[in-house]
Amino acid sequence: MRPHVSVLRLPRGPAPNGRGFDPNSPRFIALCPTTISASTETATDSVQIREEQRARSALRESFLRTLIAMTNKQVQFHMYERVKVEAKFGASDIDVLNFQISELHTPIGVQKEALLRCQDVISYSFDL
Amino acid sequence: MAMRQTPLTCSGHTRPVVDLAFSGITPYGYFLISACKDGKPMLRQGDTGDWIGTFLGHKGAVWGATLNNEATKAATAAADFTAKVWDAVTGDEVLTLAHKHIVKSVNFTQDSSCLLTGGNDKIIRIYDLNKPEAEPQEITGHTSAIKKALWCKNDTQILSAADDKTVRLWDRNSTEVVKQLSFDMSVSSMEYIPDGEVLVITYGKTIAFYNALSLDMIKTVDAPASIHSASLHPDKEFFVAGGDDFKLYKFDYGTKEELESYKGHFGPVHCVRFSPDGELYASGSEDGTLRLWQTAVGKTYGLWKCVLPEELVSENSDTIYCTPAAPEIKA
Repeated sequence: MRPHVSVLRLPRGPAPNGRGFDPNSPRFIALCPTTISASTETATDSVQIREEQRARSALRESFLRTLIAMTNKQVQFHMYERVKVEAKFGASDIDVLNFQISELHTPIGVQKEALLRCQDVISYSFDL
Repeated sequence: MAMRQTPLTCSGHTRPVVDLAFSGITPYGYFLISACKDGKPMLRQGDTGDWIGTFLGHKGAVWGATLNNEATKAATAAADFTAKVWDAVTGDEVLTLAHKHIVKSVNFTQDSSCLLTGGNDKIIRIYDLNKPEAEPQEITGHTSAIKKALWCKNDTQILSAADDKTVRLWDRNSTEVVKQLSFDMSVSSMEYIPDGEVLVITYGKTIAFYNALSLDMIKTVDAPASIHSASLHPDKEFFVAGGDDFKLYKFDYGTKEELESYKGHFGPVHCVRFSPDGELYASGSEDGTLRLWQTAVGKTYGLWKCVLPEELVSENSDTIYCTPAAPEIKA
């Protein structure tokens, strides 16, 4: 009789949302030190690191607050290929990959509901 | 004679998987990256196939993907005319290298300091990743789209395969051709084995083995069907191949005998590679899946567990590498 091979479980598939790269995995924690990766100079000065992180947190927080402030407002989007559209902003997904918008005014008509791909957006503006 | 094999199927991609690559063995195990026509290359734990993350950013089919030895960096080549370098720990895009046509192949040097790219504009480029704004060094000569470009001989030479039915060996410094191989048909895949300097080339139904330094032919083996990709085991005892008939073939390298064939994929096999420890091989297919196959069927490894006959169950269920503690992800 030959030994039978069983499978403990199937390989885990992608998570339904988000792009993975769990920041709580041992590898992430070990390989991603607190130094900010985007800085070109390795900031050995810990005060400098703290300052930069503080600035980043402030900018991030203010960006998230603009997303909240934009809800249900008319927003003008400037996109690639000289596209300018206007729509009512609904929400953003967790990784800011897509914006959920309504009443999107396009040169070929008004789209009742749409998803705007964020990487195609150059800038957007709205009145507070 | 062959034992039936239960491959581990990795789902997640929505279009054909056209390329895959393993990293070296790291303190966290080894990793696998897959290139897919859906534009979203994925990183997986190499011994289990567990998804770790998806590199988001490309706007077109991803034709080539690679990892550096430590699996800290990834590079991808895509139909959106760019090659991208990624942080393989955070998943962040680090660099976008604009090209003038579809990019098909990317390869890091051993120290990850340079990236080799090749694609439909027929030019091989070398980018210094420490000076990414600098113009890349260009190597011209191929008269058709480049399928694969690889560093060899300790990153002092470059091997390239193109649709002009040639495989060329270039000197990195002089950018001149050192040697050239011509074939009757297009080469479908190329694998370089630094340990032993072996080059594995596939074309038509043939899997050919060459000395990577001299480009002298070592041997050729013919398979029952058209082969798209082949990989030589690190111990050089066997090699695996897959292609048009959806099956994975395992051959004895020494005797050239076909040992096994496995069904599993629902479409042509586009790429196959052995893991760095040789315990498994991964295949990518037109059916959108990656499948992991055991080299020694019946061995306890990764997610496979050997169940002995009678009531005795193997108590050795420890996996060789610690899989990182990822949160339970609902399929």
